[in-house]
Amino acid sequence: MMNRREVLQQVAFLMGGAVSAYSILGIEKGYCASPSASARTSVFDASQAQLVTKVVDVIIPRTDTPGASDVGVPGFIDLMLGDVYTKKDLDRYLAGLAEFTAAARSEGQPGLAALVKKYHDAAVVEERRQRRGADGHRQRPFILMTKELTLLGFFTSQVGATQVLQYAAVPGSFHACIPLTQAGNGKSWAVEPGIEF
Amino acid sequence: MTGYAADHTYDAIVVGTGISGGWAAKELTEHGLKTLVLDRGRMVRHGDYPTALLNPWELPYGGRPTTEDIRHQPVAARTGYVHAQESKHWFVDELDNPYTEKQRFDWVRGYHVGGRSITWGRQSYRWSQMDFEANARDGVAVDWPIRYADLAPWYDHVERFIGVSGSTEGLQQLPDGKFLPPMELNCVEKQFKQSVADKFGRALIIGRAAHLTAPLAHSPQRGTCQYRNMCIRGCPFGAYFSSNSSTLPAAEKTGNMTLRPNSIVYELIHAGKEERARGVRVLDAETGVQTDYFARVIFLCASTFGSTFILLNSTSDRFPNGFGNDSGELGCNVMDHHLDVGASARVEGFEDRYYSGRRPNGFYIPRFRNIGKDKRDYLRGFGYQGRAMRSEWPSLVSDEALGAELKRKATTPGPWHIGMGGFGEMLPHHDNRVTLDHSRKDKFGLPVLAFDAVLRDNEYRMRKDMANDAAEMLTAAGFRDVRSSDHVPGVGLAIHEMGAARMGRDSKTSVLNAWNQVHACKNVYVTDGACMVSSACQNPSLTYMALTARAANHAVAELKRMNL
Repeated sequence: MMNRREVLQQVAFLMGGAVSAYSILGIEKGYCASPSASARTSVFDASQAQLVTKVVDVIIPRTDTPGASDVGVPGFIDLMLGDVYTKKDLDRYLAGLAEFTAAARSEGQPGLAALVKKYHDAAVVEERRQRRGADGHRQRPFILMTKELTLLGFFTSQVGATQVLQYAAVPGSFHACIPLTQAGNGKSWAVEPGIEF
Repeated sequence: MTGYAADHTYDAIVVGTGISGGWAAKELTEHGLKTLVLDRGRMVRHGDYPTALLNPWELPYGGRPTTEDIRHQPVAARTGYVHAQESKHWFVDELDNPYTEKQRFDWVRGYHVGGRSITWGRQSYRWSQMDFEANARDGVAVDWPIRYADLAPWYDHVERFIGVSGSTEGLQQLPDGKFLPPMELNCVEKQFKQSVADKFGRALIIGRAAHLTAPLAHSPQRGTCQYRNMCIRGCPFGAYFSSNSSTLPAAEKTGNMTLRPNSIVYELIHAGKEERARGVRVLDAETGVQTDYFARVIFLCASTFGSTFILLNSTSDRFPNGFGNDSGELGCNVMDHHLDVGASARVEGFEDRYYSGRRPNGFYIPRFRNIGKDKRDYLRGFGYQGRAMRSEWPSLVSDEALGAELKRKATTPGPWHIGMGGFGEMLPHHDNRVTLDHSRKDKFGLPVLAFDAVLRDNEYRMRKDMANDAAEMLTAAGFRDVRSSDHVPGVGLAIHEMGAARMGRDSKTSVLNAWNQVHACKNVYVTDGACMVSSACQNPSLTYMALTARAANHAVAELKRMNL
C-alpha cells in the first residue's frame, strides 16, 4: 500500500505538475483515507474542488474547533465518490453539483452560504416528506450527499472524533446509565455502540 | 505446520476450526488423541487481527466498503455490515468461491483458522426441553434423538470454559446456565423491561453473551471485556470467545494437535463395503498438492454447508448419493432463522442520562408465543434482540441544522431511541435443500453448492406477529413514533444456517444418530449446524459447542471400548 505522499507524487505526475485538484482538496492536510491500489485521478476538477470546499465549510465551519476543510473533508468526498459510490450515484452527484454551480453563478449572488442553506432546507423537507411514506432506498440530492459525506468524513477524522466529540479507544468499563456530565466530558461519543448481533 | 506424521496417520482428524471444530480439537486432544486439525483457509493466531486497534480515522473510506470490495463480496454485502473495512478480510472472496442460487441464499462464509468464531454475534442461549420435543409434538420432520437432559451437562461444561455473561431468570423456555456477571441494561431498557413485564407478563433480559465480565482462571491468555464493541475485528484482549482465543490454544497446550491451515478437505476416503471412513482427501489451497490423511475417527466441523459439501462430494459404490446418505435426507431440511422484522421508536425523557463504554450486547426478549396457553396460527415462535441508545451524528443528515448549529448539535447527545428485531424459528422442510452443481467449478476445480430454500407459510405468518408484537410493546411503554418494519430476507442472512445432515432415531430418515455419528459409518461424526433437526429461535452456536463436546467425549469412550 502506498503512503499518501507517494500517491500525491503520482497524481502530480499524471496531471503534469499543474495545480491539481488534490492540493485544493486538502489531501496533504491529512485525511487518512488513502486509496489502496494504484494512484487514481481525482473525481473533481479544480473548479469543482473549490466549490465543494466552500460548501463543506458552510456545512461544518471552523469555529473554536477546526472545520470540514481543515481536516481534509473535500479530499475525502473525492475519494468516496471515486471508490465507494457507484457510477450512477457519482453521476447524480456531479449533475447536482453542476446545477448548484450554475445557480451559484446566476442567482443574483445571495452568497454561497445562503444558497447552501436554501438547497439544504428544501432537501431536508423533501427527505422527511418521503420518509413518512415508504422507507425504501433514499436517492439523496447533491446537497444531502455532501452533508452526509461531510459528517462521515469529519466525525471519523481524528480532529472530529477527539476534539469536537469525545472518543475512547479502550473504554475499559461500561456504565449503562450515568448523569450526562459524568460520561467523560459530557459530549457525544464519536463511536456509536451500534447494533451488532 | 509442525508434526506431520510420516505416514499421515493420526488418532483423530478434525475438519474445520470454527465454533465446532475448535471444541472438537480441544476435547479430543485433552483426552490424549493425536489429532490433525485441518482448515481450508489461512492461519490466524490469536492476536492476528489486523484492524483490531485501528481508530476510526485509520480505517480507509470512513470504514465503508468500496465498489471493488463489493464486487468481490456481493453476498456478504447483503448483510449490510460484514464487508466493511474493519472486517471484510474475515469473509470470503466470492469470485473465487462461487455458488449457485436457485433461490436467493445468503451464504456468508469465513475461510481462515477460527472461521466465523471470530465474527460471530456471541449471543449464547440454551435450548429448552420444549425445543427438543417440538418436532415430535407437532408432527414436523423427525424427532430429535436427544432431549434437554442429554445436553444440559455439556452446556454446563461449555459455558464454564468459554465464559458467558448473563442473568439467572428461571425461565422454562430459556434455561439458565453457568453465568459470569451480567452486563447492565440502560435506563430506557430498564423502563421498557418493567412495562413489558407489567403489561404483557413477558421477560426482557440482558443478552447472554460469550464475553468475559470476570477473569477465567483456566484461560489466562484471555482478558475481560474492555467495552470497545469492535468484536467483529477480532479481540486482542481475548475477551469474547473465539476458537483462536480459547479452544485452539487449549488444544495446542496438550501437544497433541497438529494444525494444518490451507487444507481443503474435499472427500472422505472410503473403500468397498467398510463401515468406516479411512481418512480424508486434502487439497492444499496454496500449492494444489493432494494428500491423504488417515485416522480412526473423523470429526466434520466444516460448517453446515462445508460439511454437507464434503459428504455430498464423497461418492462411492456404497454411497452413490453422498457419504452416509442411505436416507436420501443429506442436503435436505436446510434451515436458518428469519429476521429483519421488528420495530423501533423514539423515547422522550432521560436527556440528562448517558452511558460510557460501548456495551457489545443488547437486550433479549425470550420467546413468548405458542407457550403455555398461547396458541397462534403458526407453529413455534421467535425472540427479540434490541437496544436503546441516544442518537448521534449520523442522524443529523436529515436535520435542519447547518453550520455552527450542526456542530453544536452533533456535540450534544441526541434523543434516545429503541429498536428490536425478531429472530424466528424456521421449520425444517424436505424441499429446502442444497445439492452439488457439477456444471460450475470453484477456483480449485471443485463443484459448487446449489441452494434451493425458501421461507414458507409458517414463517410468513409468524412474521406478522414479529412486527406487530414489537410495535405493540413499544407503544404500550409510552414510546413515540413507533414504526414496525418487515424486510423479508434471503434464507441464510441470519448466518444461523442449520440442517442438511440431520440427527434422528432412524437411519431411514436421518443422516446422523443421537451421538452425531453417521448411521452407516460410526467413526464419522458431524457436529456443526448440519446436524440440527429443528432450528428453535435461539442463536445456535452454544448448542453446536455442547453437541460437539458431547460427541467428542463419546468418540473417546468408543475408541477406548474399541468400538470405532
